[in-house]
Amino acid sequence: MAEKRERYQNRIELLQGTLDMLILQTLQWGPQHGYGISVAIRNRSGELLQVDTGSLYPALHRLEKQKWIAAAWKISENNQRAKYYRLTATGKKQLTRERSKWSQLSDAIAGVLYPEER
Amino acid sequence: MGWLSRLFRRRKQETELEEEVRSHLEMAAQERTEQGVDRQEAEHAARREFGNVELVKEVTRDMNGWRWLEDLIEDARYGLRRMRRSPGFTAIAVLTLALGIGANTAIFSLVNGILLVSLPYPSPERLVSVTGTYPQGAFVAMREQMRTMDVGAYVEGQELNLTGFGEPVRLTGTPVSAELFSILGARPEFGRTFYQGEDVPGRDNVVILSRALWQQRFGGDASILGRSIELGGISRQVIGVMPADFRFPSNKTQVWIPLHNDPRDTVNSWAGAFMPIIGRLRPGSTIEQARTEIRMFQSHVGALFPWPMPASWNAGVSVVALQNEMVADVRARLLILLGAVALVLLIACSNVANLTLSRAATREKEISIRSALGAGRRRITRQLLTESVLQALFGGLLGLAFAKEGLALLRSMLPSDTPRLAETQIDWRVLLFTAVLAILTGIVFGLAPTLHSARAALTDALNSGGRGSAAPVSQRLRSGLVVAEVAFAVLLVIAAGLMIRSFWAISHVNPGFHPEHILTARITPNESFCVDPMRCLAFYRNVQDQVEAFPGTSGVALVNTLPLGGRVSKRSLDVEGYDVPAGEDVPLFWLNVVTPEYFRVMGIPLLSGRAFADSDVNGAPVAVITDETARRFWPHQNAVGKHIRLLDDKDWRTVVGVIPDVRAYDLQRNAPDWIGGTAYVPYNRMATLEDRRIPSEMTIAIRTASDDSQIAMMLRNTVAAINQEVPVSEVKTMRAVISEAVSTPASTTALMAVFAALALVLGTIGIYGVLSFLVSNRTREIGVRMALGAQRGDVLRSVMGEGAKLSLAGIALGMAGAFAIMRVLSGELYGVSATDPLTFCGVAILVAVVALTACYIPARRAMRVDPIVALRYE
Repeated sequence: MAEKRERYQNRIELLQGTLDMLILQTLQWGPQHGYGISVAIRNRSGELLQVDTGSLYPALHRLEKQKWIAAAWKISENNQRAKYYRLTATGKKQLTRERSKWSQLSDAIAGVLYPEER
Repeated sequence: MGWLSRLFRRRKQETELEEEVRSHLEMAAQERTEQGVDRQEAEHAARREFGNVELVKEVTRDMNGWRWLEDLIEDARYGLRRMRRSPGFTAIAVLTLALGIGANTAIFSLVNGILLVSLPYPSPERLVSVTGTYPQGAFVAMREQMRTMDVGAYVEGQELNLTGFGEPVRLTGTPVSAELFSILGARPEFGRTFYQGEDVPGRDNVVILSRALWQQRFGGDASILGRSIELGGISRQVIGVMPADFRFPSNKTQVWIPLHNDPRDTVNSWAGAFMPIIGRLRPGSTIEQARTEIRMFQSHVGALFPWPMPASWNAGVSVVALQNEMVADVRARLLILLGAVALVLLIACSNVANLTLSRAATREKEISIRSALGAGRRRITRQLLTESVLQALFGGLLGLAFAKEGLALLRSMLPSDTPRLAETQIDWRVLLFTAVLAILTGIVFGLAPTLHSARAALTDALNSGGRGSAAPVSQRLRSGLVVAEVAFAVLLVIAAGLMIRSFWAISHVNPGFHPEHILTARITPNESFCVDPMRCLAFYRNVQDQVEAFPGTSGVALVNTLPLGGRVSKRSLDVEGYDVPAGEDVPLFWLNVVTPEYFRVMGIPLLSGRAFADSDVNGAPVAVITDETARRFWPHQNAVGKHIRLLDDKDWRTVVGVIPDVRAYDLQRNAPDWIGGTAYVPYNRMATLEDRRIPSEMTIAIRTASDDSQIAMMLRNTVAAINQEVPVSEVKTMRAVISEAVSTPASTTALMAVFAALALVLGTIGIYGVLSFLVSNRTREIGVRMALGAQRGDVLRSVMGEGAKLSLAGIALGMAGAFAIMRVLSGELYGVSATDPLTFCGVAILVAVVALTACYIPARRAMRVDPIVALRYE
């Protein structure tokens, strides 16, 4: 129980706008449904990033509206109807932009935090 | 894409979202069961992890951009349902708001139609008015010299006889310069308006009819065009009919005739009627340029006069927008009424806010449950605001119906000479005003309770088990609203009180005569008839003799201008022993030409000397003056025996008597500063007016003891028998003449009183409501106190004390406010100061009594609380 709480506390709040990038990145590897995306992000971050559904679904619908991702209903591996999202061509470009922005940002932050390593 | 397909698409989106969430939950649960968790447990866990399903759906839906409309419709539907469920509350709220909004809409219709809507002429913003009046000669010079604007002139208040067309009638005719119609840009209904240069002798025998006269008198027959009619003894050709909505300079005008510009007629050109001037700015000119030019013109126009003009004449002349000039007299009065009616609305708002707050206490539980179920705070606020705006909109709709009736009532109440009154109507601007007012009202009265409710802590309300004890914040807010209501009501009642006192003072002014049992009528032969003074005098003598023989009359007299009848005659006079100061003219008097019986018939007493006798008509020249005149020119002396002389007369007149001051023009004062005095002379061939002719339009005053209408009929028949071309008009009692003189303050006062009464009633309901609520909330507490030995009197005192505290705070606040702002009323007040202590104290006592009465009812209920019942009541 105590361990669980600690893990919960260690979870990192997603920066504004980062969620969009993570979703696009997750869809790089192929079409996925909402639940799948949230699981993928959680697993790849070593359980550190917990995606709040209250943010995930609005983000998905927003990205769809911007035509960076497209949706289609398919049958899942468990024989369930699910809404699958896939990356579009413009979404790929957007992901490249966001990634370069992100690496600039993390470089900059690293520069501030660890000046001696430069 | 049509709205229908969009609607379908939205439906689809909605079901897809539903399914998407369901599949998410399903997959999450399945994964857990695969890890060996019990199925039911897994579903719970999935749901827990997902969070608030509805909230997620809601924020996701927000992405689709339809959210706000959907919410609005849902809120409105919910609001309507709630309103249906508490019809009593809704009815009271809507009715209160409807009264407030309706009154505002009605008054705003007036403000809109009279002050705001542009004049009904092309490019009305280019129309201007010259402040100051000019005689014909000066006008002609102005017309020739002005470069910044085209100018036109008209004569106010002229009357003409229409004869030869059935029985003779007296018409209001406006002489205008030929270009006046083209300056206004007014077109005739048919026919034409005046041509340039048609206002010179020889070409000026033309006339334009108003549509109303054309309908009434000529049966709407278009063949009247080109025919001649007899006006004032002169034959004039009808050249056009103006449309019904053309009302320049006022709705009284029935015919328009050209000015008679004869430069050879020096007296008429330079000493005839002084006329108002209007103008249209020429393209490229501004009103500032016109102002500069008119000041230049004024600096040399005096030299054109055949006699020296005082430097002060029209010294401050300027050019102003015609619209402002036309409504200048009513502007202040209308704005005061608008202010008053706005206060009524504020009180109505506070009242409904209070009602809503009372209900908010009982609704706290509902709201807490809603927020516990995941409704955001903003969402709840919006829901509550939608409800109050909805109520206000219903109030506005009902108010509009009230306003329609109210406007009709207002139009019948206001004096008929109110400018542009006929143009007032409920137009799109009024509708917009009402809509905005209703929405604002809804937000204003809804905001306070809403903020309070939305803030209400979730657990508090749920825990209190619905006992609904009012939170202290709410109680403070409610008390504040009541204090404000009482203060506003006090403001309005004080305003009404002052107006009533002022009206009382005006209507109890001693007019200087006894208006009872006097019937008056104008008997007006054509001016040309009186060119021969003997014929004129003989005619009137004949009428007077025959009327004296009527049964039921006890005195008959003739006068050129009836007191308070709206007309005065001015005449320059030499006064014995009075040296005219350098640079000033001989004093200008108000001159009354009367038959010897006049003072007795009108009940005007004598202060000294004697009244006129029959022998004065053909005897030595005499005059009677008023007390004020006597004291001005012969202070501390006996005026009887002194002398005055009409300017240009040979003989001096002996003053034979002094009478008290008579209110000649209006009730408020005797005469303006520039009138030197008032004199009475006997009607004979020496009694000449400014134009050196004897008056040809006389009013008959008959002291009656019997039926007025009978005598009026006999009078008409008698005059017709003597001369069938002389009309009898304005037949009315002296009482009616006085009522007309006070009609403007009467209507304003009545409106103010209505608003004040409304404010007082609403304010009283407010106090009553708050105290009732207080008592019903404290029933338990009161029961406990009584069980512990509190006396009934203590309870009564405590509740009354609460009410008294609120009322007194409101009264004090209202009085302080009134003290600060009542100055705006001072222009409308007569015989009472704007901070009259008596009115202030009287109103304070009145409001206190009314408020305490309102407190007494709930206080009594509190006193009668049965402790046993109260304690069991849960």
